[in-house]
This record gives sequence, structure tokens and C-alpha cells, in this order.
Amino acid sequence: MNRRSFLKSLAFILGSTVAASLSYPIVKFLAPQQNKTRDGKISIKKSDVPLGEGREIVLGGIPAIVINVKGAGYIALSRVCTHLGCLVEYDKNTNRFICPCHAGTFNVEGNVISGPPPKPLEKLPLNVQGDNIIIG
Amino acid sequence: MWQKIKDGFEERAGLQSLIRTKLKDYKVPGGINIFYTLGIVAVIAYVIQALTGYFLLIYYIPHPDHAFKSVQDIMNVAPFGWLPRTLHIVVSNLMVIVIILHLISIFVMLSYKKPRELTWIAGVCLFFITLVFCLSGYLLPWSQRSFWATTIVTNIPTAFPVIGDYVANILRGGDNISGATLSRFFALHVAFLPPIFLLITGFHMFLVRRLELSTPPFSTSAEKSPERYPFYPHFFLKQVFMIMVFFSLVFFMITFMPTFFLPEAANTPADPLKTPFNIKPEWYFLAPYQLFKIIPNKFFGISLQVLLALIFLLWPYLDTKEEKNILKRPLLIIFFILALTVWFSLTLWGRHS
Repeated sequence: MNRRSFLKSLAFILGSTVAASLSYPIVKFLAPQQNKTRDGKISIKKSDVPLGEGREIVLGGIPAIVINVKGAGYIALSRVCTHLGCLVEYDKNTNRFICPCHAGTFNVEGNVISGPPPKPLEKLPLNVQGDNIIIG
Repeated sequence: MWQKIKDGFEERAGLQSLIRTKLKDYKVPGGINIFYTLGIVAVIAYVIQALTGYFLLIYYIPHPDHAFKSVQDIMNVAPFGWLPRTLHIVVSNLMVIVIILHLISIFVMLSYKKPRELTWIAGVCLFFITLVFCLSGYLLPWSQRSFWATTIVTNIPTAFPVIGDYVANILRGGDNISGATLSRFFALHVAFLPPIFLLITGFHMFLVRRLELSTPPFSTSAEKSPERYPFYPHFFLKQVFMIMVFFSLVFFMITFMPTFFLPEAANTPADPLKTPFNIKPEWYFLAPYQLFKIIPNKFFGISLQVLLALIFLLWPYLDTKEEKNILKRPLLIIFFILALTVWFSLTLWGRHS
């Protein structure tokens, strides 16, 4: 190996080392800190959700809704549309959820009826204890 | 005395010879039309955006609790604050129009043909960066439109398996749109994008000078005649004229139609618990927005748009025919009209759906 080739190889190795050693801190710097907070619980009164109505809540930072469906009881669903993250609105007249952004529609159980959403709305665990509804 | 200073300066800086070699000795083809001036108009629009952006920075506060109010204060409290803000909004939209017209004219004149493929690619990259500029600027006022447009855009990567969620979280700085997202988009808008834009603009302009302006294909006399004209004053004055037309349009809009590009959702503070009904993106995103609506599969809808963008970017390498007059390319004319019609139809459909 002559002097010029040696310097070229050395420059390449040193340059690659610098790039590689900087790339990890840069990616870590840009990556968000993990702070998932979905372990909370919310309690609301049964009387707050009359038959056929919905009550919007926020569970662990996620906008959600509890609805009182005739024949099916209480259902808790995330309001975050599974397409691109807008918040669905409950229409009690049609008993459906509609996404204002790309017109995806879901039935009262959260299943997709039409539009581009790829999967149903996320169902949230719900327990009815006496006069209270515990979500989460 | 004054002459002495001028001569001394000239002896050291050599401005006269620079002007002579770069403006007077530089020749352009005969028969060039006003469409050739759209590039410089886009550059001027960018300069206006940079200048007005500097003024907005003086009052703007990139924090979720203050961003919306600081923008309202720029409009209502800061003396003449409405001027840089309205200019910034109007010119950002007109800039997109100018770049689209520039790309259309280059396409119609087939000026992307060899050896100008890289000039086209750099131009399309600048168009894409302009759209990212617009999008990152969207979020900064922290309005309803800002918030939900950013929600949609930062969710787009989730269509891709494995790394999608990770990329989305990097863009947002977390699981949801928050102050971290505002900081990231602010940094992108004012610090990361401008040098990238300037670098590619420099490369684009270097290629334009290096390869010289293409000969207009529709001017048969120019094609036949090898005669060329000095850049100054022949083409320079055409450019100045078009820049003045652009300024006239800008001032017309900020005087008579100041809210033309500001829907209601842009004047309502962000509410993370309420997506406004029938929210629409800016006009230049209506076609992709409508595609998202009508294609029932998220992954397919986004992949199709990425593919279309790649075809657009690499078009000079896909169009291999050597003919440089579009009038002799009936199939290309049909393709071009069809593509424009689809884009217009999707835009109108998205607007009224």
C-alpha cells in the first residue's frame, strides 16, 4: 500500500467512525421519550349517560366516549379514528360514529361501516358497579 | 472624490467585469417567453417569505399556551403586524402556484430532456420542500386547522408496517400532537428547511447557468436561427416585469382579499378534543386528501401517492423519446391533459365533498 492509498483508507475509516458514532445519538435525540399513560381509570355515574346518549371522556390522554346503547348496554370506545387520527363524532340519530376528516363511519360497536379506516375503533375495558361505570 | 472611491472599489472588487461577464456576455436564446421568468419569480417569493418570516419571529411564541395568542397579537396588537403575516400567508400560496406553473411550462416545453434531467429533479425537490414548508408553517399558529392537519400528516407513516409508528412518533415527539410537536415543526420551518432549500436552489440555478436556457420548442425561427441575445437587458427586463406583476398580484390580494386563504378553522384555537366538522386542507393538498378519502386501504392509498410522486420526480428518465416538440407527441399531450384533469377533478371533489 502506497502513502496515498493509506491516507485515503485512513480518511475513509475515520470518517465512517465519526458518522457511525454520531448517528446513534442523533436518532436517540430525535426519538420521543416513552411515556405511555394508559393505566388510569375513570369513574362516571350511570345517570350521566342516559339511554341513547354518549358521554365524552379522556382516558390516559386518549379522547374516548361512553355510550348507552339500547339493547347492548354501556360501551366505551376510543374516539381516535383508526385511519389518520382525527376524532370521530357520535351521531345519536343514526347511531353511528363519523370521522370529520375523511368521512369514515363506524357503527355503535366501533366496527367500520364505510370509508378508509383500516380497523374498528379501539374498545376500552368497562365495568358497571352499582351506580358507577368504571372505564379503564 | 466619489469617482476615486468608486475606482478604488472597482480595482479591488471588480464588480464591473463581473456584471459584464455574468449579465451582458451571458447569452440567452431568442424567442424565450414569459414562462421562462417563473423561476426567478419563485425565488423572489422565497425571499419575501424569508423576510416576512424574520419579522413574525419577533412576536411569535412557539408554545401551545401562547402560539395562537401571539399570532392574534401580531394581527391585532403589533403595529402593522398584519402586513408581514398576511404577506407570509398570501405569498406562500402564490409561491406554490408559481412553482406549479413553472413545472407545467417546463413539462409542456419538454425542457427536462437531456442534458437537463437533474435540473428537473432539483426543481421537483424544491416543489416538495415548498410543500413541507407550507405544512410545517400550518402548525405554528396552533389553530384548529393547524392541529388537525398535523394530526393527519404525522399519522401518514403509520400506514407502513414495522417502522411506521416509530417514524410517526419521531415526527410528533410523542404519541400525540403536543408542545413537542410544535417545537419540532417550528425548528423544521425556520432552521432545517431553509438551508436545504437554499442548497438545492443553488444547485438548480448552477445547472440552469451551466447548461444555459433551453431553446423554446414552439418558436421555429429561434430554432432555425442560432442568434442569441445578451441576458441583460433582453431577458433581465422580462424578469423584472414579471416580478412587478407578481408584486401587483400580492398587493391586490392583501388589499382586497386578505382572508382568501384563511378559513374559519385557521382562526379558531386548537382543541385537541374536537375535530372540526368537514375540515379541509389547503387547496394544494385537496387532491391527496380526496385520494385518501376514496381509496379504502390506508397502505395502498399512501403507497400510490408515494409512487406518483416518484414518477413525477424521475419523469425525465421515464420519457425516453428524443422528440422535443410536444406538438409532435400526441400521446404525451393526452397523458398531460388527463393528468391535469384528474388533479383538478380531485381538487374540486375534495373541496366540495
